[in-house]
Amino acid sequence: MTDIEAMLKKAGISVGDTISIESGSRNMKLTGELMPRTENNKSDIIVIKLKNGYNTGIRYTSDMRFEKIAQGKKEFTFPERAEKHAVEKKPYIQLLYTGGTIGSKVDYKTGGVYMLLKPSELLYEVPELEGIANIEVKQLFNIASEDMSYLEWQEISKHVAEALNSGKHGVVVTTGTDTMHYISAALSFMLQGLNAPVVITGAQRSSDRGSSDAFLNLACAAELAAYSDIAEVGICMHASSSDSKCAFIRGTHARKMHTSRRDAFRAINDKPIAYVSKDLKIEYASGYKKIANQSKELKPLTGFERKVALVKAYPNSDPGIIDYYVGKGYKGIIIEGTGLGHTPVSVQHEGFSWLPQIKEAVEKGVVVGMTSQCIYGRVNSNVYRNLRLLSNAGAIYCEDMTPETAYVKLGWLLGNYDSEKAKELLGKNLVGEICNRSNYDEFMI
Amino acid sequence: MEKSQNQSDYYKQIGFLCGLEIHQRLATREKLFCSCSATPVEKGTEPVAEVTRYQRAVAGELGAIDRSTQFESSRRRAFTYRIFDSHTCLVDIDEEPPHALNAEALAIALAVAKGLNCSIVDEIEPMRKEVVDGSDPSAFQRTMLVGSDGFIEAEGEHISVPSIFLEEESSGIEESSNEHVSYDTDRLGIPLIEIDTDKYIPTPKAAKEVALQIGLTLRLTGRVQRGIGTIRQDVNVSIRDGARVELKGIQELDLIDKFIENEVLRQQNLIKIRDELVNRKASTGKPVEVTHIFKNTESPLLKGNIKMKDGIIMALPLHGFKGLLGYEVNPSMRLGTEISDYAKMAGVKGLIHSDEDMNSYNISRSELKMLAESLGIKEGDAFIIIAGRGEIVQSAMHYAIMRAEHAMKGVPEETRMAYDTKLCTSRFMRPLPGGSRMYPETDIRPVEITAAMLKNAEDSKPDIAKAKSALKKSLGEQLAMHLLRSTRLAQFERISGMASADRRFIANMLLQQFTELRRNGYDVDAISDDKLVELLNYYEKGTITKQAVPEVLKALARSDMAVEQAIKSNNLERIRGSKLMALVSGAAKELNSKDSKTLLQYIMSKHRLNVDGSELNEAIERL
Repeated sequence: MTDIEAMLKKAGISVGDTISIESGSRNMKLTGELMPRTENNKSDIIVIKLKNGYNTGIRYTSDMRFEKIAQGKKEFTFPERAEKHAVEKKPYIQLLYTGGTIGSKVDYKTGGVYMLLKPSELLYEVPELEGIANIEVKQLFNIASEDMSYLEWQEISKHVAEALNSGKHGVVVTTGTDTMHYISAALSFMLQGLNAPVVITGAQRSSDRGSSDAFLNLACAAELAAYSDIAEVGICMHASSSDSKCAFIRGTHARKMHTSRRDAFRAINDKPIAYVSKDLKIEYASGYKKIANQSKELKPLTGFERKVALVKAYPNSDPGIIDYYVGKGYKGIIIEGTGLGHTPVSVQHEGFSWLPQIKEAVEKGVVVGMTSQCIYGRVNSNVYRNLRLLSNAGAIYCEDMTPETAYVKLGWLLGNYDSEKAKELLGKNLVGEICNRSNYDEFMI
Repeated sequence: MEKSQNQSDYYKQIGFLCGLEIHQRLATREKLFCSCSATPVEKGTEPVAEVTRYQRAVAGELGAIDRSTQFESSRRRAFTYRIFDSHTCLVDIDEEPPHALNAEALAIALAVAKGLNCSIVDEIEPMRKEVVDGSDPSAFQRTMLVGSDGFIEAEGEHISVPSIFLEEESSGIEESSNEHVSYDTDRLGIPLIEIDTDKYIPTPKAAKEVALQIGLTLRLTGRVQRGIGTIRQDVNVSIRDGARVELKGIQELDLIDKFIENEVLRQQNLIKIRDELVNRKASTGKPVEVTHIFKNTESPLLKGNIKMKDGIIMALPLHGFKGLLGYEVNPSMRLGTEISDYAKMAGVKGLIHSDEDMNSYNISRSELKMLAESLGIKEGDAFIIIAGRGEIVQSAMHYAIMRAEHAMKGVPEETRMAYDTKLCTSRFMRPLPGGSRMYPETDIRPVEITAAMLKNAEDSKPDIAKAKSALKKSLGEQLAMHLLRSTRLAQFERISGMASADRRFIANMLLQQFTELRRNGYDVDAISDDKLVELLNYYEKGTITKQAVPEVLKALARSDMAVEQAIKSNNLERIRGSKLMALVSGAAKELNSKDSKTLLQYIMSKHRLNVDGSELNEAIERL
């Protein structure tokens, strides 16, 4: 316990209490609420909130006298909401809530960021959702997307299937944005035979700020889930930096392309399926799989092989990384190659070529897939001799899939099929992840 | 002294409370939390891009939404942010987290805090203050407490300065309508110092003096921006039984006291109206739609409004308000104006009230009669009429009723905007915000104030007394004081550091000559410091006479020419030495006289600007 903590404890003071601090040596007397300290504050600093709302940091000195003036109030809780009666005319949709920025809320006093505790709190923050559809909110977990694993992807898939099998028109899944495109790819593969819109959304600015992108993202996502005839998984986020419309991007062709902008998600080697304007008008922009008349029960195929790696090739890279994974018993490796799908293969100096390692991996039954770090475009195994060498060594060229989608696909294939089958399917289109045509207008949009 | 004592007593007696909030932009290289230029773009610069956003009030700490938040949110306006090359980046438009706090800005703020005798905080805790008018794309302003418990001496009074803040400037409004506001983001994020006094400034005159002193303190740093809009003085005023009103947008420092006096008068009049309304047992009635009464009206105003899509007319009876709507609360401002200003929030152009001349609107007697009947108007009652699109009229009526009802309670708390700079009156802008919601800015680390920072602040703090005594030595008391109170001190120091001319001469040029020329329409402020130095050097070398200096200034203010060209093309070169001798002997021949007075007068009448008087005298004597 630090000096400060010990002294506060002795005075019976805890965070949130109104206290006075007096120091004779500094001729100072201050009153305010004691704030929690963060990892960013210097160790000898006490932070109090003054009456004017400002926080100020005070350096602790041993002659300081502390006095508790008033007990702190309880933290803010959302007002209880009366259960809304379902409006028959509106479609029913499921909102699965998993955490992330969209579900975070600031404690206005301390500035601490918390995850929303109850799903209904999300409806409290975005009341217009209820004007769009009858929404059933379910919280699955409360985790940031970077902390999500395939176990969560499986869990989400099961709940999506459950909701759709119970008659919901569509499902909105809210997640963190960092790995949203991995999640969307995973759901695309796991929800085989999907016959309803599954819309993943989130926020780049938390919903407790008046400028949050969450409001438009959620409203557009709910609109798509409730009214569109799209039978695919996709990501619905801002189409531009303005709050004018959202783009709905196929789950296997979406990628987060910016660390912080609200229009970070882009369609890669594809066009968005649809746009939803702020007035909630859906404008279909390219071909998509439509909801079929007969509906079958959705049985998700959720197997996933964890021992699949995503590896980047770059100048001077050590091909020993392949040995490492093979040695660890990995069953699949996706390489993020350069250009059309290269790794170093004919370097003048010893120990740089990836060729022997890739050959050996393939021989040992590991499925090796090749993608490109260019992000945009298709890989090709024929143009250069070096490519042919890699292809001949047994690397599978993954067409126009992004490295992330190829990674998720291989994990999913190896989780549900044997290696031979996985090898056969990796380069073939299953759920729209591979397009045979590369359209001119699909670059940098 | 006696008069000011009387004044002071008077204001004490009416329960006058007054405090200032002074905002000053700092002249730093970069903005407060990013590396964009901190100098606004030149007028007329076109943006490179725009984004449009919507903001909403989010549930507050207590689940309640702040008054002005609710007001803005009820308007659901679209905000467009104009993005300028080198002046706007993703941080500004809420697309990237803020970078570290600008150390240059912090150093200036600390020096000012020291100059105003504040104690400096040990660790700065950056905060977010919720902003709801859209002027900040993030919907909050970043702000931090830098110093507290300071004071300033003004007119022998000790005025407390409880806090000094360092914060971000907001965006500037480019265009605004009821549905949409367009903001320029070049201004956004420029470092701003806010200095607050306590509310015990005793008189309007003292308020002016305090504002002057704080302005001087800021300028003495030499690190503040100059020009219109770079300093803003907001005044909080109330009297006993009145209410706190925040006056914004007073540009002329010299008019602060007049604006305050008028606000006091306004509150006194509103209290009188309140008392009379209570006395009359006044009340507001229910609004009634009266479109049918005016369907064949001759009134162009009403006819126009009915004709538009969804156009309606509504009227409201105000029982017991007769004569009071037309009561002047401030020069040219009536209670009717105040109610109208509220209605305008909804987007109507104004309203008609019964204390106005109905003939001027072409409203007929029979229409008035029908109106009175449908509203149940009796003797002593008044009414208002609002016309426009249905939804807007409904909402305008709501605001009008709100204001009319407040007339029976007294003075509403408001933010008001300086309106008429001749009459020094203000108009309603928005309801006074409740306590701003503030919470920590977790994207920025707290900043520890080190001993080195404190020493630097102490060494560079603005010190009025020191500046005054230094100036007095070279300029004398009067000129020194004049210069200190002007906005030209920094320029004076810069120029006198570069030019060899006498400091008094320079000070006089910047103060007297500039003022006079500006009054005569010459844009002397557009002349660069470099040119001024060059001009002074020409004078010092004897290339031009003292009298020619204002003429050169005129030429330079008129067009962007070189100083040498300005002198030559206007024939302002000094005539001296042998040329002067020749001029004198020529004149003597011409006049056939050697009388020095005659010669002097003759030559001066022809060459006043080119000849130095004493040199001429000597030349005549040598003849």
